Amino acid sequence: MAIMMPASDQTVLARRAEIVAALRAIVPGEGVIDTPAEMRAYESDGLTAYRQPPMVVVLPDTTEQVSLILKYCAGQGIKVVPRGSGTSLSGGALPLEDGVLLGLGKFKRIREIDFDNRVVVTEPGVTNLAISQAVAHAGFYYAPDPSSQIACSIGGNVAENSGGVHCLKYGMTTNNVLGCEIVLMSGEILRIGGKSAENAGYDLMGVITGSEGLLGVITEITVRILQKPETARALMVGFAEVEPAGECVARIIGAGIIPGGMEMMDKPAIHAAEAFVHAGYPLDVEALLIIELDGPKIEVDELITRVESIARGCGSVTLQISNSEAERNLFWAGRKAAFPAVGRISPDYLCMDGTIPRGALPKALARIRELGEKYQLGCANVFHAGDGNLHPLILYDANKPGEIERAEAFGADILRACVEFGGVLTGEHGVGIEKRDLMPEMFSEIDLNQQQRLKCAFDAQGLLNPGKVFPTLHRCAELGRVHVHAGKLAFPDIPRF
Amino acid sequence: MDTLKVRDAKDVEEVVRAAIANEQPLEIIGHGSKRGIGHAMATNAVLDVSALNAVTAYEPNELIITLQAGAPLSDVLSLIDAKNQQFAFEPVNTAPLLGTPALGTIGGMIAAGLAGPRRIRAGGARDHLLGAHAVSGFGDSFKTGGKVVKNVTGYDLCKLLAGSWGTLSVMTEVTLKVMPKPEAERTLLLRGLDDAAANKAMTAALGSPFDVSGAAHLPKSAFPAKTEGLGDFAGQGEALTVLRLEGITASAAHRAGSLRELLAPFGTATLIEDVASAALWATIRDVLPFAASAALGAWPVWRIVCPPASGAMLGAQLARETGGDVIYDWGGGLIWAALPPRPDAHAPAVRARANAAGGHATLIRAAEDVRRDVDVFHPQAPGIAALSERVRASFDPKTILNRGRLRRGAGA
Repeated sequence: MAIMMPASDQTVLARRAEIVAALRAIVPGEGVIDTPAEMRAYESDGLTAYRQPPMVVVLPDTTEQVSLILKYCAGQGIKVVPRGSGTSLSGGALPLEDGVLLGLGKFKRIREIDFDNRVVVTEPGVTNLAISQAVAHAGFYYAPDPSSQIACSIGGNVAENSGGVHCLKYGMTTNNVLGCEIVLMSGEILRIGGKSAENAGYDLMGVITGSEGLLGVITEITVRILQKPETARALMVGFAEVEPAGECVARIIGAGIIPGGMEMMDKPAIHAAEAFVHAGYPLDVEALLIIELDGPKIEVDELITRVESIARGCGSVTLQISNSEAERNLFWAGRKAAFPAVGRISPDYLCMDGTIPRGALPKALARIRELGEKYQLGCANVFHAGDGNLHPLILYDANKPGEIERAEAFGADILRACVEFGGVLTGEHGVGIEKRDLMPEMFSEIDLNQQQRLKCAFDAQGLLNPGKVFPTLHRCAELGRVHVHAGKLAFPDIPRF
Repeated sequence: MDTLKVRDAKDVEEVVRAAIANEQPLEIIGHGSKRGIGHAMATNAVLDVSALNAVTAYEPNELIITLQAGAPLSDVLSLIDAKNQQFAFEPVNTAPLLGTPALGTIGGMIAAGLAGPRRIRAGGARDHLLGAHAVSGFGDSFKTGGKVVKNVTGYDLCKLLAGSWGTLSVMTEVTLKVMPKPEAERTLLLRGLDDAAANKAMTAALGSPFDVSGAAHLPKSAFPAKTEGLGDFAGQGEALTVLRLEGITASAAHRAGSLRELLAPFGTATLIEDVASAALWATIRDVLPFAASAALGAWPVWRIVCPPASGAMLGAQLARETGGDVIYDWGGGLIWAALPPRPDAHAPAVRARANAAGGHATLIRAAEDVRRDVDVFHPQAPGIAALSERVRASFDPKTILNRGRLRRGAGA
């Protein structure tokens, strides 16, 4: 394992039996899992290159149990790793050898559907898709749609601030959640926000969203729901080069059109997808755009015409427009299956997740190509082109000595390039352990210290999901110290009025 | 009192560090247009960021703009308007309401986080702040977020900075999302509905697939004969319920037609377009019926945020109980209430009603002596208040920045 996790606390490990018994007293019956065979299911999440069995798994089903577990662990100095469905691609739910894995899988109830206020109040273990399904009869849906939406839990979505194909137009999780019930590491239960558009005071919901399970354990969430757009149609446009495809994306946005989704695939990704699902993708193009317009039919038809004209103006070499739902779904089939499709052509792959300014797309692709040559590894690229979010899929074979290390080095270089081009390390998958050690590429020590101070406000002992997000952990007392710059004149050399 | 006009982020660091060394709290201002909101601050020096007024980068095709915090809002709005773009959250211009000169900076816009009618569709200031450079109460410059729309790298401290009223850090530079202006807008007007019926009509509209981007109700008592922007509507003596549709022309017109049919049970809606519609929504956004220069200009004004479907009950009861007037925006989820002057500004009634509805209330306009005795910002449950204080201290442990602005008595 290339990533160093916090050293295990031997005194905690020595008390394992006692800890298991204490957890059983809180969560009776099958809610505590401690046999190696049964715990295997929890030893990794979607970042499967990293595995670690936890000390013990606990699956509470009430907020009170969560509170008692955290209070007990805080009192005993025991680390806790929260977990939803375990679909994280950045290792956010990777267990710790000396930590309790706190699974929220039993929180599976939708508590309230309130169409008048256009919200759903749900427990965190409910899947993303189940929320949309629960309100579909009234024409509503929950907008963020990560590609794992069949499996991923809404609690995990909040922890990771998940995105999806449609977030260009409808926002990420953070733009679609209004409130939560959260249990702090101390065991304290708090309610933040609710059915109102805004919370009172500091926007705690905003900072909890995307905090990767380091600030608290969420036990209830209030999400906004929207009416489903009347219709959706898609264009599938091929280009002989990457540059005009990038230009097409820029011109669409520049024309004031915000598509429901705008995805790009490069040649290796197109070929892998076509071989897998036979969607009819053109095989002789360097870049393929799938552009979806949604809304009232009259609007969609008009925008399709406008986008078509922009695409042709950018020199598209193939262009198809969906005329039925079946056709639209076929356009998407290849894109949606891109990851498994790449899995068929390569024994293993690493999925990266940087974001760059849209305009830097051709530059970034050229760099990825160079790096592929340097590291002697293939790479298929799929992008959320509308918002500059890249998903390079680095192809490697874990059975060949040295390949995973090369793949990881390749990935790290791609992310460094994203930052160099004015972008960021992760657009939607989170930092977790995967990008943890790259954080200094984007943030100074001062930046990271400020973030860790916030962590201290929620979890002063640093027991909740340690080892994730931050490359170096500091003690809260050390972080809280104010350096007084002695001997300075009061406000030297600043113009006064 | 010293006013320190900083020239760059380094100056801000120096001023904050000196303030720490001297245990001298600072008031942070841009143009000072919203200084009247909040409690009196225990400060004896003013840190003025208005000279940090540069446009660092504007990239219309990337839908982002990077600005120094002191950049004048009006200039920035003109700049992006020239590229047919806007801040989709419709920042409120508080000048008419507060009776201050029409000024304001980007930093103030974010720190106050007051969003207009389109908040129901496009989100608030917090949803459009992508990244920031700021100086904390440790005297250190830090950055958070980035310059791209999709980013989950590290904690999203931007969310905390938006709406923090300058109590966490001094923002020096921010990157904001800009959005294309809609090609056309159409507004449907329903007349004569009482608050409860209007709330129902707005709920029906917002629960429709017609992508409504504004839903407001002005009870007849709330607008005096002459309110800027209301034009002819003001004089007709009837309550006005208004619903906005935006987008490409054909679509906005089509949806307006469909929505009119949906709302037929509430009456026959009339239609206004583009310029007239924009003027009406600016009136609602800036709460012009309660402007300082208008008939109720001396009354305290509350901003109440609540679950939208409970708006009418809350607002109507409050108006009846106090003899005040209310305006509803956000489909009932935002209530502006102008209440007859009283030393407590009717705070007990307002807060009790807001709490019962699951909402919260901020006293946006009130005389200084009223603000001395009344909590301007909504009191929070003890656990949330304690966590918020720990969060505040994680940015500014010595309470150097805007000390006392958010909590009554904390400035003493």
